[in-house]
Amino acid sequence: MFKYIAKRILQFIPVFLGVTLILFIMQNVVPGDPIKLIAGERKLDEVTERNIRAQHGLIKTDADGNIIYDENGDTIETPMYERYFTYLTDLLQGDLGTSYQRGTSVSSIILQKYPYTVQIAIVGIIIEAIVGIGAGIISAIKRYSFWDVLVTLVTSLLVAMPAFWLGMLLQLVFGIWLGNVTGGAFSFPISGVAGPLAKYPDWMYYVLPAVTLASVSTAYTARIMRSQLLDVMNQDYIRTARAKGLSKGAIIRKHALKNALIPVVTYVGMDFGAMLAGAILTETVFSWPGIGRETYVAITQRDWPIVMGSVTVIVFVVMIINLIVDVSYAFLDPRIRLGSSKNEG
Amino acid sequence: MAEFLNKPMGRRTFIGSALAASALAALAGCSGGNGESSGSGDSGAAAPSVGENYMSFYLSEPAYIDPYNGQENQGMAVIHACFDSLLTWDYNTNEAVPLAAADLPAVSEDGLTYTFTLREGMTFHNGDPVDAASFKRGWERVASPAMATPSDICYHLAPIAGYDEFHAGDADEITGVVAVDDLTLQVTLSAPMADFPAVVCHPSLVPVPQAALDDPASFLEQPIGNGAFKMDEPWQHNQYILCSRFEDYYGEAPALDGVYFSIQADPDTAYRGFESGDIDFAQVPLGQLEDNIEKYGESEDGFTSTPGKQVMTGTELSTYYLIPNLDDENLAKKEVRQAISLAIDRQAIVDTLYEGYREPANSIMPLSIDDNERNIWEFCQYDPERAKQILADAGIDPSTIKVTLDYNGDGGHEDIMSSIQANLSEIGIEVTQNTLEWAAYLNSLSDGSYGLARLGWTADYPIPDNFLYPNFFSTADNNYNGYNNPEVDAGILAARQISDEEQRRQAYREVCYTVGEDMPVIPIMFYAHNYVSSERMATFNYDPGTIPHFETAEIA
Repeated sequence: MFKYIAKRILQFIPVFLGVTLILFIMQNVVPGDPIKLIAGERKLDEVTERNIRAQHGLIKTDADGNIIYDENGDTIETPMYERYFTYLTDLLQGDLGTSYQRGTSVSSIILQKYPYTVQIAIVGIIIEAIVGIGAGIISAIKRYSFWDVLVTLVTSLLVAMPAFWLGMLLQLVFGIWLGNVTGGAFSFPISGVAGPLAKYPDWMYYVLPAVTLASVSTAYTARIMRSQLLDVMNQDYIRTARAKGLSKGAIIRKHALKNALIPVVTYVGMDFGAMLAGAILTETVFSWPGIGRETYVAITQRDWPIVMGSVTVIVFVVMIINLIVDVSYAFLDPRIRLGSSKNEG
Repeated sequence: MAEFLNKPMGRRTFIGSALAASALAALAGCSGGNGESSGSGDSGAAAPSVGENYMSFYLSEPAYIDPYNGQENQGMAVIHACFDSLLTWDYNTNEAVPLAAADLPAVSEDGLTYTFTLREGMTFHNGDPVDAASFKRGWERVASPAMATPSDICYHLAPIAGYDEFHAGDADEITGVVAVDDLTLQVTLSAPMADFPAVVCHPSLVPVPQAALDDPASFLEQPIGNGAFKMDEPWQHNQYILCSRFEDYYGEAPALDGVYFSIQADPDTAYRGFESGDIDFAQVPLGQLEDNIEKYGESEDGFTSTPGKQVMTGTELSTYYLIPNLDDENLAKKEVRQAISLAIDRQAIVDTLYEGYREPANSIMPLSIDDNERNIWEFCQYDPERAKQILADAGIDPSTIKVTLDYNGDGGHEDIMSSIQANLSEIGIEVTQNTLEWAAYLNSLSDGSYGLARLGWTADYPIPDNFLYPNFFSTADNNYNGYNNPEVDAGILAARQISDEEQRRQAYREVCYTVGEDMPVIPIMFYAHNYVSSERMATFNYDPGTIPHFETAEIA
């Protein structure tokens, strides 16, 4: 088991190097000059542009920070491999670099943003697990009943509905319309997180964005849960259990559920990883200060240090979540042996 | 290991610990967020409690709130609240007036030296005195090549003697800025520029305390200024910036207790926040100005909101224009540019796309800068017949003219460009649209690989020079298509030296007229406010330069 985990962690290294290297190459392939983007339409004068490039290590400087010129008096671009090497050595020292656009350290930006993505992902995944699994079970047990039809309809609707559209709909209904109907007595906050001028209790700020974030995957979870449970209920061992005279509730609780849960856990676990990578649309619609939107904006601005920094963190987190999901199989299903070699099996 | 995994207790332990771990992570995350936000509300007696008398102002995430790099109006809104420059622009009288300076500067006879006398008794938010040295410090940060990210607004200081050497890293100070004594700042220019006081009005040319040099990283997040409002806590990125009234402010105390800059990811979310009563100031979504005016009433001067007259629609100091590539065989001909300009129905664009609430451009600068007929460009009218005539007179067959219309696809320009395309096809010019992503678009502008490209210009100071020099002086940075008319160059340099206000304006009018005959750019429209304030605001002014005036705002 530990050997398996250690092996998986070692596998992180090539994956990580691969991802970051591809991103680094992309910086040179994707059109757009990050330094020109700083000033936007207004053109920078040459000296300013040169100064900014030098400060960010995009052109070569000597030990004192003076710009080095070639024999023609031109600046010398720092080659990509050198910048990649600098990125890796800085990373080992916990330094993710400095944002081109803002001049602040990338780690401080990520430290500020990432907790918000984690918070909303946790609330989202709890909603997804409870509502999704609950609805799936009800709809499987009460097959073809009113509840089953309702779950099927609602999940179809949620799967078809784009997240940003659902988000805006929730804002209108629970933020504005509900406020109007109750004469301002009750409504949900529609954007941001609790701040000094907050008019609502802190927890209320999580509700609409987390519901939006979880909507599509909750629908999928319910569907997977339903089909898995129905599938398991037709297995021989369930028939045996039934023949032994066990009650339906006991059969579902003790035998069916655990087996039906494996694909659901895989899905929910992977989805948690995806949520931890940030949700651009939900974060934008709700002005949620998370990492997804930050990364998206950084890409449009070609602010590569932020992109590299957040991708670095996200890759690590997603790899760890995937590892946890894989390990959890072993706990849910005794038939699965992780990294089992013959002498262990 | 396998036996361990098979134990039911093991599974429970695992799931239990997994849950505990997530709960811990959640707590860690939550406490991060809440700690930051609640810290301000109840952190000791010194900080005032945030309450009803705070204006909640919509902001998109600024680039910088440290004045050294105040480059766009979102950051500038915060900078203006927290810092006072020597002078400020009075849009009612259209002139610079003293702010942190006791009076207007004394100007030497050769027009090169400006001597500012500071008001007495000014302090920074941290209690440090505001003296001439703090202005020199603040200005030098703007021009310094040694900042972690050097400023891209350093060009404001370019007229000052010694700027070039300092900016290039060859000098330790700007020799033209001298703190003579605590209250006297002497500024020497490298060439006369009679409009220099307008430059000094820029909200980024402000003093900074020593703390800005000692701890630049903190200053970036929580600058310490000399203005009417101070920041109570660092900038909460993508969430808010909280400022409260500075009790030791030298000037008249503002009526507001503070300003809560509510940072929203997009203007439509902010507008929904406005509708739900959370935000006092927001941008009206495209196409909803009429509805809003009906509901909230229209501001009388277009810039000041009072209850029942809350929608602001005044013309801003920004121009939307097309820039023809002068290396293009056809666009290099003056007649072709004139004809293209005459063929564009600007009023129709403004009416159909902006409900009539933007102004069709009749010059490179709005007439609010200098209301004189000479500034109006002849070829900015809509007259397709004359366009055809001009081409015919010059012996140019319109069907031989093929141009691309280049623009960035992410800024809502498509409808404007399609209108222009349709207009040009009416006089027989074939136009193809070329849409690029923003970053790639900027590249094509720099490379000169465009036909007719879209650009915008926002004035730094409300003076004609700021529209004419940066765009049309042959060696100016923003002169993208390399327009070069020696008459224009000489005219601008001569105008800069004229100290008499009226004569100077007259000289700039002649420059503006000459440029208008050449049509090196094709102005389309002037931007206008599309903002609304809540009824709660007894008065609030958002000026043509898009600076919010919290110092004079009042809540009913």
